[in-house]
Amino acid sequence: MHASAFCGFYVAKADATLFNDRSEVILVRDGQRTIITMSNDFKGDVKDFAMVVPVPTVLRREDIRVVERRLFDALDAYSAPRLVEYYDENPCVRFDLYDSVMESEMSRAPTSTGMAQEKTARKMGVTIEARYTVGEYDILLLSAKESVGLKDWLIANGYRIPATAHEVLDPYIRSNMKFFVVKVDMTRFQQSGFNLLRPIQLRFESNKFMLPIRLGMANSNGSQDMIVHAFTRTGRVECVNYRTVKVPSDRNISLFVKQQFGAFYKDLFARAHRREGRNTVFLEYAWNVTPSFSGVKCDPCVGPPPMPREFAEAGADWGGAATFYTRMHVRYARDMFPQDLVFQVTPNTENFQARYILRHPAQGDLTCSEGQDYLENLAYRRQRELGELNALTGWDVAKHQGYVNEVRGRLSPERRNNAVPFGWNIKWPGDGFPPSWPMVAWIAALILVPCLIRPAKRSVAVA
Amino acid sequence: MRFLQPINAILVFLKQDARHFQIVFLAGFLLFGILQLHWDAELTRYLLLLGTCLGVQACFIRWKSLPWSSLKSAAVSALGMCLLLKAAGPGALVLGAVVAIASKFILRVKGRHVFNPGNLGIAAAVLLTGDAWVSPGQWGSGVALFFLVTAAGCMVVLRVGRIDTSLAFLGTLAVLEYFRTVLYLGWEMDVWLHRLSNGSLLLFTFFMITDPMTTPRAQRMRVIWSVAIAVLSFLLGWYFWINSAPIWALLIISTITPILDHLQHGDAFNWNAERSERTARNEQHQLT
Repeated sequence: MHASAFCGFYVAKADATLFNDRSEVILVRDGQRTIITMSNDFKGDVKDFAMVVPVPTVLRREDIRVVERRLFDALDAYSAPRLVEYYDENPCVRFDLYDSVMESEMSRAPTSTGMAQEKTARKMGVTIEARYTVGEYDILLLSAKESVGLKDWLIANGYRIPATAHEVLDPYIRSNMKFFVVKVDMTRFQQSGFNLLRPIQLRFESNKFMLPIRLGMANSNGSQDMIVHAFTRTGRVECVNYRTVKVPSDRNISLFVKQQFGAFYKDLFARAHRREGRNTVFLEYAWNVTPSFSGVKCDPCVGPPPMPREFAEAGADWGGAATFYTRMHVRYARDMFPQDLVFQVTPNTENFQARYILRHPAQGDLTCSEGQDYLENLAYRRQRELGELNALTGWDVAKHQGYVNEVRGRLSPERRNNAVPFGWNIKWPGDGFPPSWPMVAWIAALILVPCLIRPAKRSVAVA
Repeated sequence: MRFLQPINAILVFLKQDARHFQIVFLAGFLLFGILQLHWDAELTRYLLLLGTCLGVQACFIRWKSLPWSSLKSAAVSALGMCLLLKAAGPGALVLGAVVAIASKFILRVKGRHVFNPGNLGIAAAVLLTGDAWVSPGQWGSGVALFFLVTAAGCMVVLRVGRIDTSLAFLGTLAVLEYFRTVLYLGWEMDVWLHRLSNGSLLLFTFFMITDPMTTPRAQRMRVIWSVAIAVLSFLLGWYFWINSAPIWALLIISTITPILDHLQHGDAFNWNAERSERTARNEQHQLT
């Protein structure tokens, strides 16, 4: 699965069947300024590539840039759901604890080649507000009076647009939005020496902080995935008109998942998506990534933390000032996502990462009494890991019973049939519990102070 | 019908005082959010809001010799804030809770408090600290039916709260949104429905603007007041792109509540309807 149309739709000139399955966006929000970078994982022939994105203002030439694809790769590798491995120490022997990290494999298979371009300057209630050449792209900024005119103009200029597109264009025209129309100049594309279309970055001032996803659904059947890498100065970004929930994280999972982590996460995401009603935005990573901040930025980090240069490239060039990174993953389809995604910046700086834990058993001789206790616990733990795996992904774990039995087999016969203890690992429901001492003192004061107050003269007020 | 007795007892309890109904429902929504919508179970936040609100109320109860039953009002405000207000640190929560409760006793015009306590508390926490925020998306839109049916249904059946404000507000907003989204912009009907079925909006509609202590006393003025809030939140949302616009609209419109009360007098509200009837009778008796 790959390829992307993001907020816009691809407008094919040939009869290429186009599906927009996955896209990536970098969103930088600072006050009223938004910088959007869209990755072009376009599946078809590059000469057929064209994209229409509604934007709130007519962008100037300097507001449009082309950035390198590796920016997305760096961010994705850094913030992707991660697998962490720990090694148990042998209770019979002394061992040093160490851990290692495995990077998640998020598949990406982009393809693309040439393209052709033609222009007509006829107007059908369509105004060409600006015309730029940026990198390998020819860019037009259009404003239109009505969708039929815009559709006709696009068709007259040789674009084939989805049959239902004009219905979706109308609301954007009425909202006084402009259309950012992109095509590839084949000559320059070939000269550039790149195989792939590079991401386009737009910069504008607007009080609207949103991603217009509705256009992208005009030529897609079924659901599409979008990864949003958001950067702010203050804290997390969250969705205003859909729920933002954390993807299940910090779960102990079975060792054999290591070989199929990609499939594991895919199924986990699909299940979480269904369970939450198919209309939520998932949080996959949230962390303070300020370059000067020397604290831990992930635990463990699956890739090198983004460099100041990468922040600058993404548009979060605040000269080392506080930077907060939020990674969201949304799987959207027309029926469950009728509205465009609207976001807000919050002061929430709580860290989060999608993290799954593998625990390797202790090695060596475990026949001592502590060793046997350990093995007993290990068997329970593995049983729970299987249950967890089934709950997270829906995988059939019955065939993996050997994973538990191999541990049981190492127990002495009299210990082998012990029952699994109940409530072995009950945790408090919240992370802020039990409350800290200042909190307890404050609450105690709230109870005591009213008791100490002397009543004043009688009054008749009723509150 | 012995088996109906417990249900009957619950209904009597809820009807006895509108705040019972509010406390039960708000606590239910909080549990629903934590268990079903997988909110972060920030127990510290909930404890802090509830504790501070009750504590500050208790101070004023002692000071002004008020009945202890008014703690229920503080609990309602606290639960409302638990559902709406989020903060990165405890300071914003404490400030919000203190402002909410203290405003009831300090910001008074002609013996009535002006602002909805929860509303003012949220506004104070967000504006003054910059450390707090409201998450309008936390309910999603899937629980709309649940909200509408339970809240509106119970309000009608139990005759608590002021359903006229809810209906006037939601009705006006629905019409305005329909004109804007469907007729003007040309979106489909489900976009309109999705906007209106936002859980936070419905919570606001049925539990914040129905507070009888801060709505105008006369029914006609209440309707005008609700319509004004709906129009203002529509404008703030669409033209200034402000999230959780209804909260700010209520804050602004609350300032004219005393004027509306002055224009048309209505009956003062008393939480305990039965008792107030009794008092009225007593007063009459004393007068004659």
